[in-house]
Amino acid sequence: MRIGLNFTLGDTYDMVKRLLAEGHIDYCEFLIDNFFCVDPAEIAGAFDCPVGFHVMYSRFLESDEATLVEFAKRLRDYIDAADPIYVSDHILRFSHDGRQFFHLGEIDYFAEYDFVRDRALRWQELVGQKIHFENYPSIMDGGLEAPRFFERLIDDTGAGVLFDASNAICSHRNCGTPLESWRRVIGSAEHFHVAGYRQSLIEPYIALDTHAEALAADTLSFLRDYRSVFDKSGATITYERDDEIEFDAIVEDLKEIRKIFAEPMEGHRNELVLSAHES
Amino acid sequence: MNLSYPPTRADRDLYPALMSIEESENFPRDHKSFVRIDTSLRVYWHTLFDICPDLLTLSGPDGMAIFRPFMAWAARRRLAFDWSFYLWVYVWLQESEFRDRLDRDGLLQTIMGASAARWAILDRSKDCGIVIGCADTSDLVVGWKCHSIRGGRQIELIEPEEALPPPANTFGYFTQPDFELGGFPGWQGLSR
Repeated sequence: MRIGLNFTLGDTYDMVKRLLAEGHIDYCEFLIDNFFCVDPAEIAGAFDCPVGFHVMYSRFLESDEATLVEFAKRLRDYIDAADPIYVSDHILRFSHDGRQFFHLGEIDYFAEYDFVRDRALRWQELVGQKIHFENYPSIMDGGLEAPRFFERLIDDTGAGVLFDASNAICSHRNCGTPLESWRRVIGSAEHFHVAGYRQSLIEPYIALDTHAEALAADTLSFLRDYRSVFDKSGATITYERDDEIEFDAIVEDLKEIRKIFAEPMEGHRNELVLSAHES
Repeated sequence: MNLSYPPTRADRDLYPALMSIEESENFPRDHKSFVRIDTSLRVYWHTLFDICPDLLTLSGPDGMAIFRPFMAWAARRRLAFDWSFYLWVYVWLQESEFRDRLDRDGLLQTIMGASAARWAILDRSKDCGIVIGCADTSDLVVGWKCHSIRGGRQIELIEPEEALPPPANTFGYFTQPDFELGGFPGWQGLSR
């Protein structure tokens, strides 16, 4: 398992360089559309490591065709220059009835499947490659339908899933989505995210995907218990930190992740997990 | 079964309420639907007051004397809440009970800078910069997108030697196709 860090704005450049130099990370994930006015060659040569591309604002479910064509053209310039390990995007809502959400909305996995499938097919066609779509940190009970939605999407479009482990924990805590229900998705996914979350300020408490805290114990347990399903040749896991960015705290979390995936994949529990996956 | 509030199986059932304080009150406070809406509203709150803390001096520490009526006003006008979010707050302030207490220079710079920064981080067009002008000042605020791997967005306050004509409404803007200030192409009005 290769371990990486997200890079969203230039002010963490020196920290990413240091994390690479000290061997804490193996690659860097760019929030690539934040850098659409930076020369692609500068992106390609920014760090002495492989890169992943995470797209934030394609809004591919909402954008008109001309906007998407232009976005894809610009994205391809960076793909051609940097040859990223993966390109990932989000299945979520940025607006409703023409008004912007500041805390982004989750789709209705049951009612919107056909629409999202068609848009995902078109978006991959425009970008010219497989795109790995991230799962949402569900709050409402519709999140129970997310695992089956992603299974269908993989089967019907050839897309990948950028499986966010801590988002699955949020969904489990908020609406009871069983971690086990993601097994097939995790097994087919090659690229992963993980981050800290916190609970809401008021009750009944819900878990919020904040990227501003240390990894939670249940997130680490999830990675540990399903390690044999996560880990595979070519797999990556990106640690996301967007607030409370402190070098030592980030290193501690990165060490926890590396410890999990560096342990020998032996033992009764992992054998059980593996055999269940194969059956 | 309690049917006094809308059924909420999925997040989508809550979309119309996610930016509406009034609609949030249709949901029982002990239900996660309310917490979901509250979480959404808090992001709008923090987007405003974390960036423009002087507004809390006007409104009081919870900000609600500004936040609640502004959000209701914005809903009636169906404002998009795009990069111009802060500019519309100022437009509302001018029509509000706070209009005679506004520190026009200081608050205007903060408001215009906040919107320029929001444009610079959210806009995905080919444009490199935005120039924002206001009928209440000859100063201009310019926002530039990140154009270096080590850099970030940049916000500049410009006092032009020769003032531009004021925009037709409170605010106007124009964009820059390159990373240098060009001529004045005329003001575009804020979209809703």
